[in-house]
Amino acid sequence: MAEKLLEKPAGRIDEVPEQRLMRGLLDHFASAMTDFQRLDRGVMRAKVERRELHKVCKFLKDNMSFEHISMISAVDYEDRFEIVYHITSYRDKLLLELVTTTPKDDPSVDSISSIWGGADWQERESYDLMGIRFNNHPKLERILLPKDYLYHPLRKDFKG
Amino acid sequence: MAEMWINMGPQHPMTHGLWNLRIKVDGETIVDAQPEVGYLHRGIEKLAEGKTYTQIIPIADRLCYGSSMTWSHLYCLTVENLMGLEVPERAEYIRVMAIEMQRIASHLMWLAAYASDLGLAAGFTYTMRDREVLIDLFQALTGGRLTYNYPRIGGVAHDLPANFERDALRAVDYMETRLKQYEDMFEGSKIFMMRNVGIGILKKGDAVNLGVTGPSLRASGVSYDLRKDMPYSVYPEMDFAVATHEDCDCYARYRVRMDEMWESCKIIRQSLKKMPKGKWRIVAPRTAPVGTGLGRVEDPRGEGMMYLVGDGTDRPYRLKIRSPIFVTVSAAPKILVGYKLADVVAIMGGLDMCIGEADR
Amino acid sequence: MNLYEFSYGIIHWLVNLVNNLWYWLGDVLPGLLGDFFDAIGRFAASHGHMAVMAMLVESLIVIIVALINVLNFIWIFRKLSGRIFDFYGPYYVGYRIGGWLQNLADGVKLLVKEIIVPMKADKMGYLLAPVIYIGSSILIVGIIPFSENFGISTTREPGQYVPGAALLALAVFAIAPFSILLAGWSSNNKYTLIGGMRSAAQMMSYEIPLLLTAVSVFLLAGSLSFVDIVDAQHDIWFGIPLLIGLVVFMVCLAAEVEIIPFDLPEAEAELVEGWTTEYGGMRFGLFYFTTAIRAYAGGALVTAFFLGGWQGPAIIPDEIWFLIKAYIVYVIFQWMTWSLPRVRVDQMLGVGWKRLLPLAVLNLLIAAAMKTLGWF
Repeated sequence: MAEKLLEKPAGRIDEVPEQRLMRGLLDHFASAMTDFQRLDRGVMRAKVERRELHKVCKFLKDNMSFEHISMISAVDYEDRFEIVYHITSYRDKLLLELVTTTPKDDPSVDSISSIWGGADWQERESYDLMGIRFNNHPKLERILLPKDYLYHPLRKDFKG
Repeated sequence: MAEMWINMGPQHPMTHGLWNLRIKVDGETIVDAQPEVGYLHRGIEKLAEGKTYTQIIPIADRLCYGSSMTWSHLYCLTVENLMGLEVPERAEYIRVMAIEMQRIASHLMWLAAYASDLGLAAGFTYTMRDREVLIDLFQALTGGRLTYNYPRIGGVAHDLPANFERDALRAVDYMETRLKQYEDMFEGSKIFMMRNVGIGILKKGDAVNLGVTGPSLRASGVSYDLRKDMPYSVYPEMDFAVATHEDCDCYARYRVRMDEMWESCKIIRQSLKKMPKGKWRIVAPRTAPVGTGLGRVEDPRGEGMMYLVGDGTDRPYRLKIRSPIFVTVSAAPKILVGYKLADVVAIMGGLDMCIGEADR
Repeated sequence: MNLYEFSYGIIHWLVNLVNNLWYWLGDVLPGLLGDFFDAIGRFAASHGHMAVMAMLVESLIVIIVALINVLNFIWIFRKLSGRIFDFYGPYYVGYRIGGWLQNLADGVKLLVKEIIVPMKADKMGYLLAPVIYIGSSILIVGIIPFSENFGISTTREPGQYVPGAALLALAVFAIAPFSILLAGWSSNNKYTLIGGMRSAAQMMSYEIPLLLTAVSVFLLAGSLSFVDIVDAQHDIWFGIPLLIGLVVFMVCLAAEVEIIPFDLPEAEAELVEGWTTEYGGMRFGLFYFTTAIRAYAGGALVTAFFLGGWQGPAIIPDEIWFLIKAYIVYVIFQWMTWSLPRVRVDQMLGVGWKRLLPLAVLNLLIAAAMKTLGWF
């Protein structure tokens, strides 16, 4: 299922794309990124600090050729919110699962819709159903539920 | 004539699915567009948190009722990823065959709606009639015509019925002759070409940035198909080509889908020939471990993904569904601006909307 | 025997029958009352009165025959489109005669529907538009005669119809765009407004090649009346030397009558029903019926101008020949309708102005050349 990669990879010549990705991220954002895992061939997972999220995403798009944001999910745990970004690279055929945590009383994170236009509606959906606020989003409105709805239904404390 | 906002939908005889497209027109030219979805929101993600893993399979079918086999297959892939199950090979081949048949059926339904929107009413009945051939096969295989409840966690529900290979091969042969006739009918019609060539251009950079996937992306020149580039199931064993086209207009999207139908016929033949004998299902554990699971498929409409969080009980903790149409609809303003009002039907029809999966 | 003679005979018999009553009352009642009834009897038997009544009966007969043919046309339309689409078409109602009674069933259904007038609609325009539309279409149908003996005339000699009937028919054909625009605008709906405007633009731009082609026919025939035009075709039908004209005329008619590929004004995919959206019940039914009437009128015009009208071997009466040719033209229209997608508005106007107009002028030149060479 998942292998933990504990040590930094060696050598440059015949690097696998996953290792090149990990090296690139660790070189630039060593303090913010932790907990790298290889889930499957071509699928990597990492945790990132939420303040550095925007910079990491911009780096991924500009330098590591991650052109496509596949999915933005929000999970509601007991002590935190987790926002999971799945970002795809067409060139290297990689999928990176980037996990951010926010505390329960301040579920907000920077919006990446200025980097990838495809994140726009996905962030609106997370706001609508889970209540995560995305800073600097061009138009953070409800999208699936009526505009004047009061609750965020996907949270665990909303019971039907 | 001054600029005015027009509502196409939500009650409209010809928009496929229940959504609203607000267009600002200046005479006949479109100046701005704002799509609105959410009329069909059923709360499937919340619903899934209260049901056991097997109970969610029929719900996953109903996400997009035009291509329901892909969604329940995607869900089973995700759960198997979470639980770490190894599916028997015969089940994988049956699943791949069923998915490719579903792809042809979904594209035929798209073609029916597209032709009828453009005014070629005969195209509607012909393609729907041919889709019936495939639906009959599905009925023999699964018992259902539109939503199947067929994949299970760990395999498929039951084995192929008697004589299925013979019937499926006959259907594929028939489909290939009909595809040739459709190509002649549509591309030989000068009016069809006039209404499609050069309409609805979506440049490569815009398509990639806005998150458009599937045939619409491949029609803009990006050759990315999840079945080839990040393969799942037994797709590495199959020999087929990825359909791409260089012009980014409606004709390119039509052409990509026709090519995909040809390729799907090839895949069905190969999977029938290579199918091994053996078990078609293993018994999956009832409870899932704590952790996360990820599944990705190439849906007929784009890249479908599911993200599943398990918490050690027999019900999911969180199921998140990525629907390709949700993101493609958000790209609508970019594609529509600058064209005429009569082109809206061609453009939005070419993107193949199935709003059930957009709203979940 | 002329239709006029026939209806005159009917009126004569009827007036004689009723006059027995008036004359008997004149005899029985005394004084002024008796004279009054006597005067009524004599007025009814006068030539002028009987002529007028004969004309009314004549019109009624012609229009009823035409409308029954239009019902046939609707049946053919549905059955033929069903067969092209690979299904049956009307089947159950009137099972043994192939579903012909479906028309009547639909008519009854539309009659019993509730008619709703939108609140903010302009009442005058809304109520007037269908009247103009249907009235003008039935007028065309009345003007076109079926043969030398079957049409609305005022004398006993065959072939004495409205002089200049062909021009009158084309002129009345062109009244419809006004009513469509009126209907679209007065419904107070953005969709119908767009539909009405598109329709007016389309019809206006396709009138011109239509009339130019008709002018070439008038040039060769040397007259504007239907009988003369058909008689001038006794050697050869005009459709053969004027083949370009025939094709242009048929394409322009398809645009006038608004069938696919030219039916963008009522394109269901975008505008629901186009300019007829806000009309309900029998009003809508009459619009639908009128489209079929105009298709029939178009087919009749094509037959009279290009296909030799009512000429044919004498085994079948002339009127039936006329109808057979009109049906064939209609079937060709339907075949075209169900094989082609819809043309977009600006592309359609482009075709009308840039392609059909030069072809119509070319056709006119050919006709003028043939006339000067003395071939006609």
